[in-house]
Amino acid sequence: MRLNKTFLYGTATAATLALTLTACGGSGSGGSASGGTWDKNATVNIGSLYEPQNLDNTAGGGQGVTEALNGNVYEGLFKLTDDGKVEKLLAEDYKVGDDGLTYTFTLRDGVKFHSGKQLTSQDVKYSLERVIADDSQSARKSNLEVIKDIATPDARTVEVTLSKKSISFVYNLTYVWIVNSQAKDLKTAEDGTGPYTLDKWTRGSALSLDRFPGYWGDAASNKRVVFHYYKDATALNNALLTNAVDVVTSEQSPDALDQFKNNPAYKVTDGNSTTKLLLAFNNRAKPFTDVKVRQAVSAAIDDKKLLQSVWGEYGKLIGSMVPPSDPWYEDLTKVNAHDPDRARKLLAEAGYDKGFSFTLDTPNYDPHPTAATFIKSELAKVGVDVKINTITSDEWYTKVYKNRDFTATLQEHVNDRDLVWYGNPDFYWGYDDKQVTRWVQQAEEASTTDEQTELLKKVNRKTAEDAASDWLYLYPQIVVASSKLSGYPVNGLNSQFYAYDIEKKG
Amino acid sequence: MTRTDVLRPVRDEKAPPRGRQPRGSATLVTGCVLAGLIALLALVSLFWLPYPADDTSGGRLAGPGGGHLLGTDKLGRDLFTQVMTGSRIAVQAGLGSVLIAAAIGVTLGVLTAFAQGWLDDTLAAFLDILIAFPTLLLAMLIVAARSATLGSAVLAIGLAQSAVVARLVRVLVKRVLAQDYITAARTSGTSWPRTVAGHVLPNIWPTLVVNLALQFGLAVLAEAGLSYLGLGAPPPNASWGRMLQEAQATFTTAPAGALAPGILLVLLVIGVNLIADGLRDTLDPATRGRRA
Amino acid sequence: MARYLLRRLAFLLVSLGLASVVLFALLRMLPGDPANALTAVGASPEQIAAARQAIGSDRPLPEQFTHWLGQLANGDLGTSFVSSLPVGPEVTSRLNVTVPLTLAAFVLAVLIAVPAGFVAAHKRHTWYGALLNGVSQLGIAVPVFWLGMILIAVFALNAGWLPAGGFPPDGWSEPAEAIRALVLPVATIALVMSASLIRYVRSATLDVLGSDYLRTARALGASFGRAMWRHGLRNASVPVISILGIELASTLLGAVVVESVYALPGLGSLLATGIAQHDYPVVQGVLFVSTLAVLLIGFVADLAQRIIDPRLRGRLSGGAR
Repeated sequence: MRLNKTFLYGTATAATLALTLTACGGSGSGGSASGGTWDKNATVNIGSLYEPQNLDNTAGGGQGVTEALNGNVYEGLFKLTDDGKVEKLLAEDYKVGDDGLTYTFTLRDGVKFHSGKQLTSQDVKYSLERVIADDSQSARKSNLEVIKDIATPDARTVEVTLSKKSISFVYNLTYVWIVNSQAKDLKTAEDGTGPYTLDKWTRGSALSLDRFPGYWGDAASNKRVVFHYYKDATALNNALLTNAVDVVTSEQSPDALDQFKNNPAYKVTDGNSTTKLLLAFNNRAKPFTDVKVRQAVSAAIDDKKLLQSVWGEYGKLIGSMVPPSDPWYEDLTKVNAHDPDRARKLLAEAGYDKGFSFTLDTPNYDPHPTAATFIKSELAKVGVDVKINTITSDEWYTKVYKNRDFTATLQEHVNDRDLVWYGNPDFYWGYDDKQVTRWVQQAEEASTTDEQTELLKKVNRKTAEDAASDWLYLYPQIVVASSKLSGYPVNGLNSQFYAYDIEKKG
Repeated sequence: MTRTDVLRPVRDEKAPPRGRQPRGSATLVTGCVLAGLIALLALVSLFWLPYPADDTSGGRLAGPGGGHLLGTDKLGRDLFTQVMTGSRIAVQAGLGSVLIAAAIGVTLGVLTAFAQGWLDDTLAAFLDILIAFPTLLLAMLIVAARSATLGSAVLAIGLAQSAVVARLVRVLVKRVLAQDYITAARTSGTSWPRTVAGHVLPNIWPTLVVNLALQFGLAVLAEAGLSYLGLGAPPPNASWGRMLQEAQATFTTAPAGALAPGILLVLLVIGVNLIADGLRDTLDPATRGRRA
Repeated sequence: MARYLLRRLAFLLVSLGLASVVLFALLRMLPGDPANALTAVGASPEQIAAARQAIGSDRPLPEQFTHWLGQLANGDLGTSFVSSLPVGPEVTSRLNVTVPLTLAAFVLAVLIAVPAGFVAAHKRHTWYGALLNGVSQLGIAVPVFWLGMILIAVFALNAGWLPAGGFPPDGWSEPAEAIRALVLPVATIALVMSASLIRYVRSATLDVLGSDYLRTARALGASFGRAMWRHGLRNASVPVISILGIELASTLLGAVVVESVYALPGLGSLLATGIAQHDYPVVQGVLFVSTLAVLLIGFVADLAQRIIDPRLRGRLSGGAR
C-alpha cells in the first residue's frame, strides 16, 4: 500500500503488504553498463517521494526506509533481486530438513558491520528475534511467526525450526535486515553490513549514503548516493528537468514523460509493476455483502477509460489482484468486464433496480480523487449514486483499516504476491470465503511451487468471479534517469532500490 | 491630535482625503463589472452548464476548441463547465466565510471594546495572537473533526477572519465610545445595549462593510489555498484551487487548465477589492468627516 | 520604560503559558492515532498497543502535559514519535531555512513597498502612481501557490537559471547553493507581501498628507521634504510597524504553501507533516517556538512604536489600534 504521496498528508505510513511465497521470475534489469567510462567516485542523486519515517524497519520506518536502506546499508541472509529472484546474500549456503521444518544456514565468512564488528550467528538470531518480538511493528511479523526456535551451534551456523511448513520462508527472509546485536539506536542510526554507510539524514530533505570501504563483496560503483525527498510528483519532475537529481525511482505522472522521452539526455524505462489500484468493497457492509452488487459495480466501470485518463498510454488492465509477474497470473480481465447492461441486470436481480447510494472513502491524494470522480460518473449511468468522502491517509488507517468503518474505499496495493490477503477474513475488506482461506493456507504449506501455484490460481479465479474487490488497473513502473546513468533497478520490486550498481559517466 | 487618532484601525485603509468622487465611483463600477461577471457565471451555473458536471465524453486533455471552449481535463470533462462550477464555489466560500466572520467578529469586538485597563490590554494582545494563529492549522483541525467539505473550509476561514474583524470592530467601537455624545447619552440614562444599537453600530457599519468586502477577497484566496492542499470541497466539485492543483503536472503541456481558474480567481478578488475601495470613498465617515 | 518592559515581559510569559495549554488540548482533539504512522498494514492490535506504549501516547493527558513541561523546563523539546529524533535540533534545522526565507522576503517586501507605497500616495494623480496602485491590486489577488507555479515554469524550467525547488542537504555549508535555492521562494513571498504592504504604506502616507500638522508645518515655511521628514515619517510609521509585525509573524508559519511548492524543508512543512502523523512532540515544538517568535515580534514592534511615538507609552501593548 502506498500512502505517502500527498505533500500534506504524506504520512508515509507506508507499508508493504507482503505475505508471500517463493521467488519468481520477473524480468528485465536496468540499463547495463553501456560502455564508455564511468566515474568511480561519482555522486548519484536519486529523487523519491518516499521519505523514511525513521531508520528502523521494525519500528515503522515505512516504504522509504526499504527504498533507501534495503540492500544498500542493510543486507539479509537472502536478497530479492530487481527481477524477482531470491539469491543468497549473507547466507553462503542453507539446507532444509526432510520434514520441511528445519533450516540450517551457514553464514558468509569475513563479513563486517560498519562499526567494525564481525558478523556472527548471534547477530542473525538477534535480528530474527527483533522482527517477531512483541513490540515489533514489522509488516513481516505475522509471516515469520512460524519460527519456533533459533539455535546457534557455532559462530557461522544458524538453525531455525518452524512450527509448520512455510514455502515462502526463505523469500520472507529477504526482508529481514541483519543488524549488529550490540547496536544501540537503530531508529536514528544504523549498523549494517551493506556496501554503503549512512552519512546523514536531513529530515524533510535528503538522506545520504557513502561507500563503505570495508565491504565484504564488490565495492559499490559510485562513491556517494543521495536520496532527495519531494512531496509531490510535479516537484520531483521539475528536479529531474533541472538536473537536481539523476534518477526518479518511480514516476507518478504520465504527462511529464513526453518531455523526457523526446530528449536524448534522459532514458525512460517501463518496468514490471506490482502496484494495483483497488476499489475495495467492504464485503461485510450492505449492499456489498451481495456478490451480484459487487459484480454489477465492477461491470459498470470502464477500467480502460480510467487507466487512459490517469496514465495515458501506460499501465495495464488486470482482472484480479495478481499482476503478470506473479507465477499464478492468469488473464482474468474478461471476468466482470465492462458491460453496463449486465450491471443493470445484476442490480435488478439483487433487488436494486432503482439503484442505491453509497459513500466512497477516498484518500485525498492522487490518483484517488480522479478515480473517485470517474467512478461516480460511471456508476451514475447505472443508477448508483456515489458520495465521495475525502480522507487523509491517517484517517484511512483509523477509519477504514482498523475500524472497518466504511462501505467502499480506494487504495493502492504495492506488493507482489499479495493475493493471499483474500485468505484472511480479518483483513480490512472482510472477504470471507472458507474455501479461499483453506486454499491459501494449503498453498503456504505446499511442498512444491507447482502445487502452490495451482492452489493460488484457484484463489485468483474465485476472488475475481466473486468480485471481492474491483481491481481498476495495474500501475506502470516507470523509472526516468539521466542518460549518464546505467545499472539502476527498473522494477523497484517491493519498493527496493539498489544503488550499488549504478554507474555514472563523468 | 486626540487619542482617537492614535486608535485608528490598522487594517483600515483611507481613501484620498480630498474629493475624488469621480475616481471613487469609477473604481466601484470597475469592481462591480469584474465581480459581477464572475457572480453571473456562478448564477448561470446553477441553471445551465455547457456539459453535465460528470460528462467524461471529451478526450483526455483536449486543447481549447472543438466544442470545448477551454478544452478538457484528464478525465475528458469540459474545463469551462468546471470553471463555472468553481466560480460558484468561490462565491459561496467568500460569502459564507464573511458571514461567519461578521457574526462572531462583531459580537466579540463589541464585547471586548468595553473592557478597561489590564483586561483591555490582555484582550487586545490575545486578538493579535489569534490573528497570527495559522489558518492552515485551524483548517486541518476542523477537517479532521468533520471531514473535508466546503463547509469545513468555510468554517476555518470564517473563524480565522473573525479574529481580524473582532480586532477592527473593537477599535472602531472604542473610538465611538470616546465621543462626547456617548458620555452624554450614558449620563442621561441610556442603557448599554441601547447605546450600542442606537449610536455605536450606525457609526461603525460603513467601515465594517468595506473591511468585510476585503475579507471576502481574502476568503476566496484562502479557500483556493485549502483546496489546493486537498482540504476544501471534495471531488467532483470543481474548486478553482483543486483545479490548479490537478493542472500543475500538465502546466507546460496543457496550460489552459492551470491558467483559466487562476485568472478568474484573480479577477474576482480584484473586483471585490475595487468594490471595497469604491465603497470606502463613498461610505467611510472618517473620510467624509475629514472632507467636511 | 523599565517598568513597562517588566510588565510587557511578564505578559509575554503568561501568554506563552496559556497558548501552550490551549495548543496541547487542541491537538489531542484531533481524531486519529499517532500509532498509525508507526504500524504497518497488517498490524495486530497488540502491535498497535505496543506502538502506543513505546511513544507514551497511552498515558493520561495531564501526565503527558506535565512530562512535556518538565522537558521544556530543561530546554528539551522532546523526541519525535515517528522518527525518534530529538525535536529541538529538527526545529533548528527547519529554522535555518524558514528564518532566512521569511526575513529576506520581508526585507525585500519592505524595500519595495515603502518607496512604492509612498510614491503611490504622493503621486497618486500621475500615471505611475496609478500604475503602482494597480500593480498592488493585482499582487493582492494572486494566490501565492499559483505565482510559485508560474515563476518555476518561467525561471527554472524554461530559462534554467535557478533550481525549481529543494534545498541543499548540507544546508548553509553550501552557501551559494542555499542562496540559489531561496531566490524564487523569496521572490514569491516578497511579491505577494509587498502588494499588501504597498496599500498600507499608501494609506498611512495619505493620512499624513491630509493632516493638519503637515499643512501647518508647510504654512510655517518648511519644505515638503522637511515637513515629511520631521512629522510625516514618524506618524506614518506607527501604523505601518504594527502591520509589519503581523505580516512577519504570519509568514513564519504561513510560508507552508510556498515551502510545499518549492519543496523546501521549512518549519511550515514540518508542522504540516507533524499534524498529519499526529507527531505531537513535533507539532508542540513547532508551535511553541513559533508562538514565542510571534510574541517576540509583537514585543519588538510595540517597543519600536513607543520609541517613535512617546504618546503610546502609557499602554501595555499594541500601538496603532
